[in-house]
Amino acid sequence: MLVTWKYRRRNTIIQRLDPRTRLVFFVFVILALTIPDIWDLRIILPLFAVSLTLFLLSRIEWKDIRRILPYMFILVFFIVGLNGLLSGRGGPSSVTNLPSPVVFEVPIKIPFTDIGWDIPITVSKMWFAITQITRMFTMAMLVIPIPYTMDPNIYGTAFKRMGASDKVSFTMDLAFRFLPTFARDFTITMDAQRARGYELEKLKGGLVGRLQRLAPLIIPVVMQSTVTGEEVIDAMDLRAFGTKPRTWLRDNLKYAGRDYVLLGLGVAIFILCCVLKWGFGIGGYFVPEFFLNLFV
Amino acid sequence: MSDKPLVVENLTFKYRTRPELAIEGINLELKQGELLLIAGSSGCGKTTLARCINGLIPRSYRGERSGKVLFHDREVAEIPIPEMAQVVGTLLQDPERQIVASNVYNEIAFGPENLGLPHAEIFSRVDQVLKRLNLEYLRDRETFNLSGGEKQKVALAGVLTMNPSVLLLDEPLASLDPASAHEALQVFRSLADEGKTVILVEHRVEDAIEARPDRLLYMEDGRIKYLGPIRDLPPEIDHRQVKLPAPWVVQRVKALGEPLEESPRRKVEERGEPLVVFEDVDFRYDDEFPLILQNVNLNIYPGDLIAVLGPNGAGKSTLVKHSIGLLKPTKGRVLIGGEDSRKMSVAQIAHTLGYVFQSPTHMLYAPSVKEELEFGPKNLGYDSALIPKFVRESLSAVNMTGFEEYPPLGLSFGQQKRTTIAAVLAMRSKILIMDEPTAGQDFANYTHFMEALCKTSDGAHSVLSANFAATLFITHDVDLAVTYANRVLLFGDKHIIADGTPEEVLKDESLLLKYRVRPTSLLRLNLELLPKTGGFLPAESLAYYAS
Repeated sequence: MLVTWKYRRRNTIIQRLDPRTRLVFFVFVILALTIPDIWDLRIILPLFAVSLTLFLLSRIEWKDIRRILPYMFILVFFIVGLNGLLSGRGGPSSVTNLPSPVVFEVPIKIPFTDIGWDIPITVSKMWFAITQITRMFTMAMLVIPIPYTMDPNIYGTAFKRMGASDKVSFTMDLAFRFLPTFARDFTITMDAQRARGYELEKLKGGLVGRLQRLAPLIIPVVMQSTVTGEEVIDAMDLRAFGTKPRTWLRDNLKYAGRDYVLLGLGVAIFILCCVLKWGFGIGGYFVPEFFLNLFV
Repeated sequence: MSDKPLVVENLTFKYRTRPELAIEGINLELKQGELLLIAGSSGCGKTTLARCINGLIPRSYRGERSGKVLFHDREVAEIPIPEMAQVVGTLLQDPERQIVASNVYNEIAFGPENLGLPHAEIFSRVDQVLKRLNLEYLRDRETFNLSGGEKQKVALAGVLTMNPSVLLLDEPLASLDPASAHEALQVFRSLADEGKTVILVEHRVEDAIEARPDRLLYMEDGRIKYLGPIRDLPPEIDHRQVKLPAPWVVQRVKALGEPLEESPRRKVEERGEPLVVFEDVDFRYDDEFPLILQNVNLNIYPGDLIAVLGPNGAGKSTLVKHSIGLLKPTKGRVLIGGEDSRKMSVAQIAHTLGYVFQSPTHMLYAPSVKEELEFGPKNLGYDSALIPKFVRESLSAVNMTGFEEYPPLGLSFGQQKRTTIAAVLAMRSKILIMDEPTAGQDFANYTHFMEALCKTSDGAHSVLSANFAATLFITHDVDLAVTYANRVLLFGDKHIIADGTPEEVLKDESLLLKYRVRPTSLLRLNLELLPKTGGFLPAESLAYYAS
């Protein structure tokens, strides 16, 4: 069985942090980037450096993340980056509205028809793709270490101590409990269908057609999950879940000095981004001169 | 307050979504410290009765209920849920779905946490139960990585921390290997001896007898057909509906007074060229993981009907995944029809080997049986003009003609299993591999299923022998190997421990016990009568030879 949860005790400063600190800091970084709508790489890069530092301090071994990392790179580079490059969407409207020099054009044509058009790749869109990728990595690097470095038994308690209800808090515990089960069911289904000659890599057709051809994988997994869900509800009912305010056994979470430092940093980042954007007008999207000069 | 922990009076229930009564006129009284075994085939009402006892009916399942379920004179529907959970503790069939926490300690503490008990009380209860069930070594383990037997014990521990006076165990042996099942039954007995009232719902009566139940409640069509001491089981209880010890079956067959016939000897067939060859196969998932297969050598020949026995986690599934190319050897090679599996895709190998997974719901997805059966042949690129013929013949082979337009997921479990076999038949694979073919089916259904596949009459071919050059199945059920296989592989310690006819491999009781395979009464009776029979036979056929 390959599906195992990769959490390990590592004796790192990151693991000594209160789990609430890490979750709250992550929220502050997201808010700092999204509420004042920060698209200035000069501001994003220092945040990227902070995220990278925390990521490295997590001391996750390469063997643990080597399987997930390619997927993340594909997601960020090819989906987010390519989308930014081709459409310029997903960010401020100035990306596509700016009068910006066209570097080259990508011809797109609907197969078997004469319908087609050329998509202009502008300097503005290229810089936007770089910004968007950096922005995504800044957030992703705060999230990726969590399952590897945060005790799965503490998620529920962390949310409970942040003020969530018993039900919401335990839902977090349940999600982490059943993720490996879901992954195992998916692997078994994949094997079962491959043994019937199904080859995922040979999916053909348009988006709808491809989705339809994923049915042999999706339907059995959904069915398994539904049956599991019903039995889990019975199991929880039979042990009186939700009938009284519950005791959280591992509720000895306590903020230490390092937690206040990181929380302070999170608050400072958020306030600084808001002040820069709304107070001084810094942080909006713009293409730096040197980048423009590379193509003009 | 009455001293009777449980009284059921004239209980009747009909589910809102079904026209017929699920149970009718059930009357039952249980004493403190009594162990009651409830048996019967699928759909007889066992589960509905269990739900009425643990309060899921009427709380979670809606319908029309009449009669009473009383715990110490209090009606179950009127007992508040937190209190109810401390009156009846329920162990569900699949511990994988009962365990809700990632860590063993948290799992066992889950119930008391829900009751809002103080920390000290919870710690004390959990520690007591860990000690009582000898589970201290598991206290910090992740639940996902436990074995089936360990999961079952942890789930039981989670129930016991609620300190219930009645324990309801719903088919608790279903996912356990025979040795783990034996251990679990000993625990159930000791809990009854300590004063708990234990209700054990189990169709495998032979296995459950090990827990020395005080009484048996046998159900048919939602009614009680027998309630009394297990030894006095009346002859009208059909031994084909519940699994009884082989000597009992022999007695019953003799008592029927029907003419007994000598069974034909199993033919020894000439072995041709091997269809699949394992040569010195080693396998590990990654450099950092230990070996799962080590120096495995195996030939599968035409005519083989192989049962693979061995403990959970021994590598049985890994072995068969190599034969269908889902896994490739780390060292050595697997030859399929003479070709190295490393050079073949899974789809190419599927022309030769068809694999039926344990649970049909991992495989079935199509809106109709017909489309389900067309899926494999289409993937393998068969001529579309031939596919309807393959589908027709496959359905006919498993006796499911007429079900073409039925949604597979709406069929009964046994029909779903047969649909999965038909799906492999339609691919025209030469070798059939089945993982736990009888799992999830009750005794009557799985006997019917295996008979339909393996039985021959008047020299005719069985479904298996007519359609497949060889068949291999993984099982925990020793009696399946005794009754249906012509070759047995005992797998353990990463390699094949023994390989031969069932009579050769299964005669060594100490070897079987070493690899957590527990001899059954059928095996023992067969070994006793072997000089007369010359080969292993089903219990009914042994009646002719038993004096």
